[in-house]
Amino acid sequence: MSVSRLLKILVLSLALVNVAMAAQTPTQIEKDIGDKVFCLCGCATTLNHCPMLHCAEKEEMRGIIRADLEQGKSEPAILQDLVNRFGEKVLAAPPAHGFNLTAWVLPGIGLLIGLLLAMAIVRRMRRPAVQAAGPSTAHPADESVRSAVEEEMKKYVD
Amino acid sequence: MNQVGAVGLIAALVFAIYGMITGAIAGKLRSPRMLKSAQRAVLGFFAMATLAVVSLEYLILTNDFHSAYVASHSSRELPLIYKIPVLWSGQEGSLLFWTWLLSIYAALVVLMNRRKNRQLMPYIISICMGVATFFSLLTFWVANPFNQLSLATAAGVTPYAPPDGNGMNPSLQFHSMVIHPPLLYLGYVGMAIPFAFAMSALMTRQLGDNWIRVTRRWTMVPWMFLGTGIVLGGQWAYHVLGWGGYWAWDPVENASLLPWLAGTAFLHSVMIQEKRGMLKVWNMVLIILTFFLSIFGTFLTRSGIISSVHAFAKSNIGPWFSVFLAIIAAFSLTVLFLRLDFLKTENRLDSIASRESGFLFNNWILLAAVLAVLWGTIFPVVSKAIQDVTVTVGPPFFNKVMIPIGLLLLFLTGAGPLLAWRKTSFQSIKRNFTVPLIFAAIVGGILFFVGVHRLYTWMSLFLCAFVAASIVGEFYKGARTRMKTSKENFFSAIYNLTMRNTRRYGGYIVHFGIVLMFVGFAGQAFRFETQGLMGPGDLLQAKDYMFRCESIDAGKKANYQYETVALSVTKDGHSLGVMKPQRRFFLAEQQPLSHVALKTNLARDLYVVMAGTDPDSGKAIIHVIINPLVQWVWIGGMIVLLGTILALIPSRIERQMADLHKNQQEVAEAHHVR
Repeated sequence: MSVSRLLKILVLSLALVNVAMAAQTPTQIEKDIGDKVFCLCGCATTLNHCPMLHCAEKEEMRGIIRADLEQGKSEPAILQDLVNRFGEKVLAAPPAHGFNLTAWVLPGIGLLIGLLLAMAIVRRMRRPAVQAAGPSTAHPADESVRSAVEEEMKKYVD
Repeated sequence: MNQVGAVGLIAALVFAIYGMITGAIAGKLRSPRMLKSAQRAVLGFFAMATLAVVSLEYLILTNDFHSAYVASHSSRELPLIYKIPVLWSGQEGSLLFWTWLLSIYAALVVLMNRRKNRQLMPYIISICMGVATFFSLLTFWVANPFNQLSLATAAGVTPYAPPDGNGMNPSLQFHSMVIHPPLLYLGYVGMAIPFAFAMSALMTRQLGDNWIRVTRRWTMVPWMFLGTGIVLGGQWAYHVLGWGGYWAWDPVENASLLPWLAGTAFLHSVMIQEKRGMLKVWNMVLIILTFFLSIFGTFLTRSGIISSVHAFAKSNIGPWFSVFLAIIAAFSLTVLFLRLDFLKTENRLDSIASRESGFLFNNWILLAAVLAVLWGTIFPVVSKAIQDVTVTVGPPFFNKVMIPIGLLLLFLTGAGPLLAWRKTSFQSIKRNFTVPLIFAAIVGGILFFVGVHRLYTWMSLFLCAFVAASIVGEFYKGARTRMKTSKENFFSAIYNLTMRNTRRYGGYIVHFGIVLMFVGFAGQAFRFETQGLMGPGDLLQAKDYMFRCESIDAGKKANYQYETVALSVTKDGHSLGVMKPQRRFFLAEQQPLSHVALKTNLARDLYVVMAGTDPDSGKAIIHVIINPLVQWVWIGGMIVLLGTILALIPSRIERQMADLHKNQQEVAEAHHVR
């Protein structure tokens, strides 16, 4: 089987998997929102992960989410409702607008710059090498031993 | 004993300052006498830091509540096993502990290099003692664990001891917490040693192969501790916090991941320098970055500048650390800049399709991961400073950004070893990649048809199959060659192959451990949760499992009261036994804590939490989570540890090379002395 055929199968499989995403139920939406907002009791965890016993903030936020779900609101609308009530700090990830956009964009820019740098390094390293300027510590008498060991290493260390 | 500890701390500070100055003079003047004096200062520093640590432990174990630290962090009823970790459970003690671990590392470096690396040693000592000076000063001046409690009365100031202490944070009273922080600290602190070697190599212009060979090993040890500490931290979170997960992208968790990622990048790219004499500047940058992030991690963990589930108190050590981080950056980058001429590459890259390129791209992804985690971690502080708005950056951000990066890294883990050094022909790529890709495609197909339809989960398991097949293939090809040439049976061939090149095959085992961990991560996509109120006789169904409440009991132990529920569990009518989650209330600390009940196998964990008792009905609030594949995370972590230990064992080839380099070094040093 050729590599190109394998790649085609891989791409096709990825497309199939992507299409087959399951539909969301209200319980699933509630759980998903619980992962996307922080509990405001000071526990520094998301709503689903708040370890506090009888946490008033957690119960209040869950109550709002359930009420919104009963009114048929979508996930983004419920998240917006929580932001309107508690401010942006309730979101477990900064919204992608204004200065907060940099939180999302910078890692991507870093990835891109890193790729360009890596490519530049590859290009630069493909030019003829410069003789190292540092002093050599090698002793001529050891050269034969070194070559023998390096030959041996080539068999196993690659 | 308080005074003894305080004297030990002052003496340690004096030895650290003396060692830092004497080491630098010994390096500048190339004076063996000064070097000897600096070495003795390191041993003196170790002895005095040990005295301070032993004194504090004595105060803790004897419940001496005259000590402000002991009164704040310990109590009479605290079991002995948790009294020892009191040393690192508070800020003052943990900084002393940091200082002590550094003294152990520094003393080991001195003792292990009595007859080698003599030119490097003066500056190594000076830099280690420079770091030691900072931590000793901080421990002595800002966060002294030997402060005593006193009462100001009309008769004057008199010593005071409360009848009992405040106790230890209940969430820290867990078995893996006894070793998790020391392992993390061994990781953070240990990164000072490769940094010192690197700086010394730059300062002395000894930039041959030797420093990098020595430094690799000194990096692997703390890297191993850091990785194991991170996994144990995950285990602690899983067992203690009661939300059924092990990683929440908390700032303090991220702080430990950052130097681990940078150290991983170094451990890979260092191979290019050893094999091909390339990426010399880059390796220096990685060593500096790893150490910088280790100190940054300690700062983040201890300063409380970012809200964390670890809930460390805000403290005044932030500005001290900021200055120290600035000094590290300025010093190391200046030294690096001044020595750029000595770091020119010795070879050229023969082809883009080569192992070298694979490592470069691996470094690219790892550094992108460092940037993403760092930026996400500090963004709340940046946002507050720039737009005066408090934002939180939690799991949704990190999962969205880090999962693609992690998958790319996983692919390179499998692809890298399939590329040859220098140049890989198209035929060779085809030959090496075909079997792993076919295996992964079969696994991927099966997964799709059994219902794995989430893209990232499917991709993760597909890539796990690819990487596992490539690793198994590497072992198989090596063993087959040995079976042909040495007439060994398969198992002897695998053993001899591995022991002949422990570094390479240890590395493959580490990669295999990472694969298993990714299998465990992928399992989170199939997590199932349910919750219910349960009194005796009540039933709760969770997927195929039926839970029946048999009884609700209460009791008292030495340092806590508890309520517990006995739940019998059945699956398809077969009994799986009884699970007993507890809700504990710690008396001295006046804090509640869940004690999770777990039933585990390789396919899934049954995770049951007693969240509390309903005040109206008196029934227990039971939270059940079915967590698939979690055990693979811990097994993978264990295999990573074993692989690293294997890679640390010198192989026959390495011993030959070491002998050769020892001879070279002796000749070089003889020239140097003349």
